[in-house]
Amino acid sequence: MREQNKQTPYWNWISAAVALAGIIVFIFATFGPPASSSGFVSTVKGLLQIVAPDYVESKAHYRMIPGPGSWLMTFVLGMAIGGFLAGRTFKIPVRDVPEIWEKRFGPSKIRRFSAAFIGGFLILFGSRLAGGCTLGLFISGSTQLAISGLYFGAVIFGTAMLTSRIVYGKTGKEKT
Amino acid sequence: MIPNIWLGLFSGIAFGFVIQRVGATNPNKMARAHLMMDPEIPRFMVLTVALSALGLLGLQATGEPRTVILPTSIVATGIAAIIFGIGWGLIGYCPGTCWAAAGEGRMDAVFTLLGGLVGTAVFAQLHEVLVPILYLPTSIGPLTLSDWFGNRAVGAWVLAVGFAICIWVIGKLWGCHGLSD
Repeated sequence: MREQNKQTPYWNWISAAVALAGIIVFIFATFGPPASSSGFVSTVKGLLQIVAPDYVESKAHYRMIPGPGSWLMTFVLGMAIGGFLAGRTFKIPVRDVPEIWEKRFGPSKIRRFSAAFIGGFLILFGSRLAGGCTLGLFISGSTQLAISGLYFGAVIFGTAMLTSRIVYGKTGKEKT
Repeated sequence: MIPNIWLGLFSGIAFGFVIQRVGATNPNKMARAHLMMDPEIPRFMVLTVALSALGLLGLQATGEPRTVILPTSIVATGIAAIIFGIGWGLIGYCPGTCWAAAGEGRMDAVFTLLGGLVGTAVFAQLHEVLVPILYLPTSIGPLTLSDWFGNRAVGAWVLAVGFAICIWVIGKLWGCHGLSD
């Protein structure tokens, strides 16, 4: 990480924020508020419609979000494609186990992947209860000046900061 | 008019590309951000919102873009944010970044994505039980800063100035760990 401080291939945060804000305003102009946790609902809805169409019809949560073939679904697919294109043209190779995690918990992939699965469960369960995620509620909501977005944003940052201190303990203070 | 699915795909590609380039799809960088060692991602997020709010204000001056204001439920939004924050602090991915990170080739992000699909399905099953108990009783409605400050323009500028202060504070409080290291 220290070499990255000298010459980082990452974009400067100000330029990146200008670029992303431009994309968000474009999305508002052409679609409406962007969201990504809704894409999970579209995906699950699409999968369940194949095996249990009656169940999908009976559940309020699937009725309120469109299935596949919607902006919400193609947006998250696009995110994966965008990540793929960016990753292919980037200097730093990806790791399956992040450096800081490896320092704390060792190189076990099973341990990291299990935690990743649990974490994924939690962030989506939370998002669906709140009605949005980092993008759909904090970023979209706050952009529209919604109190719900600001409230959600403050609590997710605070809790994540506290959690990471508990998870990483003293490792967090060492060089990574 | 371009169909929505193509607009969504194009917007997603651009979005995913930018968040990879700033490092938001890197869980190591995200963990360092949460540990107050790396100020870039939180500053990036806060600045993005401030600029988007002003951009949306401009858009609203020229037309009527579709907006959706979610209600604030003191209990449900709060509990949801705590559950979310625990997951985010644990793994360093959120529901958007894990798609881009999976596309980037990070296997742990693929597991986050799978966990997310299960979490979604479980919540959808419990929606009819949880929403009336947690969400509706303490909902104070779709409040915005415009309601508090009288109009949109004032609200947007209050947010932009408030977030600019946040960016400054993050720069002061974070970073110091990183530099001394």
